[in-house]
Amino acid sequence: MATESDGEEEVSEAAGKLMGSPQLAVEDDLREMAKKAAWSVSSCKPGNGVLSLRDDNLDTYWQSDGAQPHLVNIQFQKKVKLQLVVIYVDFKLDESYTPSKISIRAGDGFHNLKEIKTVELVKPVGWVHISLSGNDPRETFIHTFMLQIAVLSNHLNGRDTHIRQVKIYGPRPNPVPLQPFHFTSQEFVTYSILR
Amino acid sequence: METLMVDRVQSSLRLFMHRNAIFLCERLCAEFPSELNLQLLATCYLQNNQAYCAYQILKGTKMPQSRYLFAVSCFQMNLLHEAETALCPANEPNAEVPNGAAGHYLLGLIYRYTGRRAYATDHFTQALAIDPVLWAAYEELCVLGAVEEENEYFSDAVAQRIQQQQLSESNIHNSSISSEFYSLTSNIAVSGDSIPRQSKQPLANNTREISTLSQSVAIAKVQATHSGASSLSQYNTPPAASQLSGVAPPPLCRNGQVFFNVANNDASIKSNNVAVQAPRRKFMDEGKLRKVSGRLFSDSVPRRSTRLSAETSAVANSNAQQGTGNGNNHSSAKFLGGFSSSSSSKANAASSRSLTFKKGHSWIAESFDEARRPEIFDDSRSENMATSSSIPMSGDGGCLEQGKVTGDLVHDSRLMSGAQDLLGLLRILAEGYRLLCLYRCQEALEVYLKLSEKQYNTGWVLSQVGRAQFELVDYLEADRFFDLARRVSPCILEGMDIYSTVLYHLKEEMKLSYLAQELISVDRLSPQAWCALGNCYSLQKDHETALKNFQRAVHLDSRFVYAHTLCGHEYVALEDFDNGIKCYQSALQVDDRHYNSWYGLGVVYLRQEKFEFAEHHLQRAYNINPRSSVLMCYVGMALNSLKRNHDALEILEQAISADKQNPLPVYQKANVLVSLERYDEALQELEQLTETAPHESSVYALMGKIYKRLELHEKAMFCFGLALDLKPPAADVATIKAAMEKLYLPDEMEDTP
Repeated sequence: MATESDGEEEVSEAAGKLMGSPQLAVEDDLREMAKKAAWSVSSCKPGNGVLSLRDDNLDTYWQSDGAQPHLVNIQFQKKVKLQLVVIYVDFKLDESYTPSKISIRAGDGFHNLKEIKTVELVKPVGWVHISLSGNDPRETFIHTFMLQIAVLSNHLNGRDTHIRQVKIYGPRPNPVPLQPFHFTSQEFVTYSILR
Repeated sequence: METLMVDRVQSSLRLFMHRNAIFLCERLCAEFPSELNLQLLATCYLQNNQAYCAYQILKGTKMPQSRYLFAVSCFQMNLLHEAETALCPANEPNAEVPNGAAGHYLLGLIYRYTGRRAYATDHFTQALAIDPVLWAAYEELCVLGAVEEENEYFSDAVAQRIQQQQLSESNIHNSSISSEFYSLTSNIAVSGDSIPRQSKQPLANNTREISTLSQSVAIAKVQATHSGASSLSQYNTPPAASQLSGVAPPPLCRNGQVFFNVANNDASIKSNNVAVQAPRRKFMDEGKLRKVSGRLFSDSVPRRSTRLSAETSAVANSNAQQGTGNGNNHSSAKFLGGFSSSSSSKANAASSRSLTFKKGHSWIAESFDEARRPEIFDDSRSENMATSSSIPMSGDGGCLEQGKVTGDLVHDSRLMSGAQDLLGLLRILAEGYRLLCLYRCQEALEVYLKLSEKQYNTGWVLSQVGRAQFELVDYLEADRFFDLARRVSPCILEGMDIYSTVLYHLKEEMKLSYLAQELISVDRLSPQAWCALGNCYSLQKDHETALKNFQRAVHLDSRFVYAHTLCGHEYVALEDFDNGIKCYQSALQVDDRHYNSWYGLGVVYLRQEKFEFAEHHLQRAYNINPRSSVLMCYVGMALNSLKRNHDALEILEQAISADKQNPLPVYQKANVLVSLERYDEALQELEQLTETAPHESSVYALMGKIYKRLELHEKAMFCFGLALDLKPPAADVATIKAAMEKLYLPDEMEDTP
């Protein structure tokens, strides 16, 4: 559920430390990509499996059950453009299970994943937005077959981790087929599709 | 006792006391089991929306009226094959279709929904032949696309035909029985009809005034406790799904004496003096099924109510009790021409009684219900017909011939002109509707403007005009007209789905959500309301909820084409192409002239890069609506992707000239020219566009691309800069900036998917 509301995201950009915001603030021209993906995790406790990451329920969580790093793998059938990863974690509820260092890797498959982003979380409560864009406007998106979210360490040196929800966002496709560019003006948009 | 019960049941039906009617009728059927009583019970159930009960009790019955009611119940329960066999028994290929025009109409609908278009067209045409004012059949013909050119359905010749038919009805009359003449003029609202008691059918009263009534109709007097009130049940505005009104029960001859004296003074009208036939003769007039959009005759409603009140008072005065033994009992059957307005009830035998227009058949010959004969004589009721004005019907007995005859002569000509007036009105509406169904919208608009102001300012007409504007892609005007329609007729549902799409195109979130809320509060079970709500969510890009709403609309009425199409659009937005295709195909099964579904399929195939399929489907859409510049543009795009660039250019030129306000064909033309490497011409077109659509980023982006190909780097840079200034979405920003960076490199700019 992408909402337009502006969350109050307290981001200390300089250190790359994220604290999470209570609201999911995603731009309108992005859409959730994850429905078309195959999700898997490196390990899980029975009853707290990968489904809990996608059930839109903030009360259910995935709990890992193995050695670090804990991995969430998202594989697409074709190369997609991704721009944003949002995860929901809650230090107040999960304490030592809350991830503190997360690495995002992308690639064609397990064999050639490359790290594209690392973030550090400090007692986060709420949605943590992790943008995948580079500084260059040309690098707004990453084109990839696979994304991997790796939890490298937890708060208070916890072994296992809880993540309550994960969402992945990419750009919307052009509603008009076969066009190199989107239409921006009202005149074009009005005549561009039939309903 | 039996007659008393029948009487009470029918009056309960007329006054909408369904529980009472059902209870009494069930007792009646238990006490006096007979097929007629069963028919009455079925009618009660159908009026109470319990088609399944009617189905149960009528299974296996053979009388035409029973078969008709059974077919109606089957139709409502969606058991189309059973309905078809009931109306057209397989082992009797030449059997008459029960209830004439009504039966043909129902049969036409069945054939339409089971995909047999030719038969459907045939039956609708027959229905119109029998009853020229059966608008619903005409509507179906237009939707099926079976009315290509200017037609003769509502011409003056038909008016003549109507009148002649009426006058040629042969009448039985008994010399000893006075006849009452019932003349109607255009100004007189016809009061309710008489319903023969014996038939144990709910009587049909509904009538419509004027025109089609023959001026002289002898009326068998039947006690009618129900006045026109029962006809009120017919006046509900039908929801989008077609509903069938009931059929008039046969009028009863009282003591077999029904006669009609026809007096005529026109040269064209032959006078008939029909001698009274054998006393046991009875006749029935064909129940006429008329479904007429309520809005069509919205101005008639006030008249009807005045008529009805006049009638009830008249009836109250009439004695209508068990007749005295003397020869004063007459049964009068009233023949009322015209059509009932807005019949929304399920087959209800008590609904309109209208003239049959079977050529060459005498009234007498049309006895449908042989079994009714013996019962004629038990009944001795007389009914008074009340007319609202000029000719008062006297109550009982006596020969009123003399007085009536003179009145008739006066109204003769008025009836004829009334018929012509009515047909004139219908003609305009028919022409407009036909043109709209052929998507010749500009012409349709002109035709509708010919209507009188009071007819034009009705919900139905305004909604049609709105739809025409929508098809012309003039969304602002469409908005205006639909808004007017809603103001004139606040509970209007027809066309509101199109209105919600108009608001979707205009991106008016507030208005759209308001419309959706209003529609739901008017009728939670109408598909239009849920379509509107779905459009609302779709506008906010919440495609999943939108899909749920559209699916709900489909569940509510699977024969509502647009709901299927909208489901398809949502699936495609969610990139679930398989389900999208399925939805579009189910839409096409309901109505294969719904060009939006063909378009939807074409777009899906374009996305899936199955260009041949795409071109085929878009071409089909274009064939149905050859005036849409948007469709032409898409066909051009498909041809371009098939590399048939010259054909593409041709149709894009057509599109450009068809609608000057549409910038897209010009843009697409530029695209095609680029792929043909005719860069200068492309640039020319795009230059034009910068004038007409100055805020369009894609125009500049494309120009930049061309300049880059032509290695005019400064110009390219300039255009890209302009494009970026116009704030395209992030994806385009990335593309354009990438292009700018690569400007001085020899590489080709990559085409973004």
